Amino acid sequence: MDWLNLVILPAIRVIIMIFVLLTGAAYLTWYERKLISRFQIRYGPNRAGIYGLLQPAADGIKAIFKEEIIPNHVDKVIYLMGPALALIPAIVIWAVIPIAKETPAIADVNIGFLWILAIAGVESYGLILAGWSSNNNYSLLGALRSSAQMISYELPMGVFLASVLMLAGSFSLVELVQNPRPWWEWIWLWAMFPFFFICILAETNRAPFDLPETENELVAGYQTEYGGMKFSLFMIAEYINMITTSTIMATIFFGGWKLPFGILQNVVILGPFVLLAKVLVLLFLFVWVRASIGRPRYDQLMSFTWKFLLPLSLVYMFITALLTIQFK
Amino acid sequence: MLKVSPIHRQYEVLPSLNDPSIPAMAPMPAGETADTQRIVERFGDGILAAGVHNGQQIVYVQPDQLLNLAKFLKEDAELAYEALIDVSAVDCSKLPQPLNGRRFQTVYQLRSYARKQHITVICPLENDEEPQVDSLTSVYQGANWPEREVLDLMGITFVNHPDPRRILMPAHWPNHPLRKDMPLGGEEVPFSFTWGDPEFETLGKQVLPAESVPPEVPPGMSRENMIINMGPHHPSTHGVLRLAVELDGETVINVDADLGYLHSGFEKTGENKRYKDFVYYTDRMDYLSSMNNNLGYVLAVEKMLGLEIPERAQVIRVIMSELQRISSHLFWLSTHALDVCGTGMSLLMYATRERERILDLFEMVCGARLTLSYIRVGGVWKDLPPAFLGNLRHLLEILPAAFDDYEAMLTDAPIWRERLEGIGHLSREDVINMGLTGPMLRGSGVDWDMRRDVPYCGYENYEFDVPVRTAGDCYARYEVRMAEMRQSVRILNQAIARLPEGPYKTEDRKVSLPPRAELDVSMEALIHHFKLVTEGFHVPAGLGYHGIEASKGELGFFIYSDGSGVPYRLHVHGPSFNNLFAIAKMCKHHMLADIVTNIGSIDIVLGEVDR
Repeated sequence: MDWLNLVILPAIRVIIMIFVLLTGAAYLTWYERKLISRFQIRYGPNRAGIYGLLQPAADGIKAIFKEEIIPNHVDKVIYLMGPALALIPAIVIWAVIPIAKETPAIADVNIGFLWILAIAGVESYGLILAGWSSNNNYSLLGALRSSAQMISYELPMGVFLASVLMLAGSFSLVELVQNPRPWWEWIWLWAMFPFFFICILAETNRAPFDLPETENELVAGYQTEYGGMKFSLFMIAEYINMITTSTIMATIFFGGWKLPFGILQNVVILGPFVLLAKVLVLLFLFVWVRASIGRPRYDQLMSFTWKFLLPLSLVYMFITALLTIQFK
Repeated sequence: MLKVSPIHRQYEVLPSLNDPSIPAMAPMPAGETADTQRIVERFGDGILAAGVHNGQQIVYVQPDQLLNLAKFLKEDAELAYEALIDVSAVDCSKLPQPLNGRRFQTVYQLRSYARKQHITVICPLENDEEPQVDSLTSVYQGANWPEREVLDLMGITFVNHPDPRRILMPAHWPNHPLRKDMPLGGEEVPFSFTWGDPEFETLGKQVLPAESVPPEVPPGMSRENMIINMGPHHPSTHGVLRLAVELDGETVINVDADLGYLHSGFEKTGENKRYKDFVYYTDRMDYLSSMNNNLGYVLAVEKMLGLEIPERAQVIRVIMSELQRISSHLFWLSTHALDVCGTGMSLLMYATRERERILDLFEMVCGARLTLSYIRVGGVWKDLPPAFLGNLRHLLEILPAAFDDYEAMLTDAPIWRERLEGIGHLSREDVINMGLTGPMLRGSGVDWDMRRDVPYCGYENYEFDVPVRTAGDCYARYEVRMAEMRQSVRILNQAIARLPEGPYKTEDRKVSLPPRAELDVSMEALIHHFKLVTEGFHVPAGLGYHGIEASKGELGFFIYSDGSGVPYRLHVHGPSFNNLFAIAKMCKHHMLADIVTNIGSIDIVLGEVDR
């Protein structure tokens, strides 16, 4: 058995990946706080380190050293499982995402799309169980909202993804990036991007679709009874999800680690940086939307997905199927 | 149980100057108007007295005729007093000869929007031990909470009241604090410099023992559904409001408001402070519009005094009142947007930026930014500083553009409209019957503004429109408030143009302090100074209600004077309190998220609700 190639090297890559993700999530909070404070005519964190760059570290230390309080009225085992169940899928989903040429992904499985859909489906369990085990009405309402919302928005998202893989002709994300696409395919993809982005906003529980944790109605939704590091795990999961989904969007819609028109295609080391730049731009979109768009009501959100997004995605898939048959 | 400890220091009795005429009853109203004539004709012996007092129509009625009178006042086409603005009560036990030996009087303020008339109905109650009177809730829905307040604080039972619970004090409170036999501060306040002193023995014990929340749910709710408890510590209840909400899924079935977490007994305090000293307390009620609170109180006192205010002071008051209205509305707008749209909403910071500029102006004139106490009896505290007008002009140039920006963010934004349109609907009949005031009234199509219809401070000399919307939902109220800010800017521009030179406070030395230079040369000035500083001014015996258009609605002060330097009875009609009554009706059969929208749309400040 080839231990080096089968176990040790992948393990090292996994550890590096997890480290990068956790740091990335921490610095995404900094990125978001800096950006949103600029939208709101203020400075944002600027005390810890230059430009407040040590703020995420300070936050992490604070969260770790907070007293771990477990309320008496909760279902303890499930209560503690909640944050873990939210965080684990957020990391595991990264197994199939290509970040550069030659070292495409930790696991270049040929069912990358299905993996993403499956893991995204598991993610909502963490939230639902957290809200249910908290034994608190606000948490329960938040959990119910999150389950309904995530399941509803996974439908159009899945149908959109199905259209994409129809065009690509493969379940693998690696192949999706590596195979060249004709120009009309790009335009057809970009036409779908705004709607896909809306699904992603709902899927990651980001504003304006942060209904499971609407502090104005539900105090903190499913997180109400959580504090300290347990609360931080939810937040880390949310921010990793933002990075993940941005990366997926960059991979599907904007060519992943490739520069446009085949520029510098053979410089492997550029791949991750190109991808990072695309992800940062997409993350900026997340923050921009949060700073300027109000939150719809829960029933409005649901009717939007069932009455508008889902039919739209089905029509889109139908036309995509026709296009694929015609041109491929 | 609450005990007054033996070492409790009785508050010194404020001086009455050995004047045998103090304390005195308020004189009976004299003369007659068409309305009082009509009432007397209809009820005959049921009316004890009717007429005009302090320029106000007053009717004294027998308790057995009160309900009939209320029905008559409301339904008679020529009277048409459609709205009950306020209910309060007076405990006459410390007055020399209470009316026919009766101790309690309930006082009702009624308003006819169509005829622009106001009438005060006073009902002296017969039984001194267990006073009771018919509830007016069957005629005026809005009597509900004010009557509960009177029941709570004065201990008067309202017969046939649909919900006779205490409202401000805890349910197990042993007494009725506004009765005159209750001392100010039922519990001692230990004070000493050494810990060993016996005064500290009871430290920490003077508070009532906490009682666990009763297991039964509020009336009208069922355990079958989910009941959640919003507040008192909830992000969007704007303070310490507690709502018990009965939910079916996410649909609201019932809402029950629990008030009183911020009850600080302003009325009782006011009845133990000299007139001039209560101005500082009014700041703390609606702390977002203290200028308007000052103004309302001061105008009520001046009405009782019959005081003429110099023109310059009047214009300064208008300027301050309108600036405060804009600042209060800006704060409403930012928090409303935050409540509805979520934390990321940048409007909070934008509106706060403009509000800060207004607070800077306030800091220029009085040194404070929140609790201002700038408007005083007789005028204002100090004259405007020289740089004030320039800065104000600059602000007035900025504001309209800022309002345009806010409207660009919200007015036509689809999500904002979806969230507000059709939510919290109140019909014209509802708002009048519930006694709501301010933008709540104008958002439902009642064309009424105290500044235009019952002018004070010379508002009749300004040109401005009263924005009215007929939709009656949260969006209509949003539009009304946005339009009001623009009208305020219009008024401010006119006020700057007409600001005359002259004294900034009255020259009446019985009310306002003489200038320092005069003390060196005039013995009389010295005497006035001494009298004003030591005992304040005296207000002639009588009663009066004065309402102003504060930013949240009609802010009224009811004062009963016994001729001394301290109000005998001071009642505050806070607009937030009456407007909040509508929350149950507004939220019913809407979603949970709409509760937050509705609270924001009512625009409450709990300091004023609980007083």
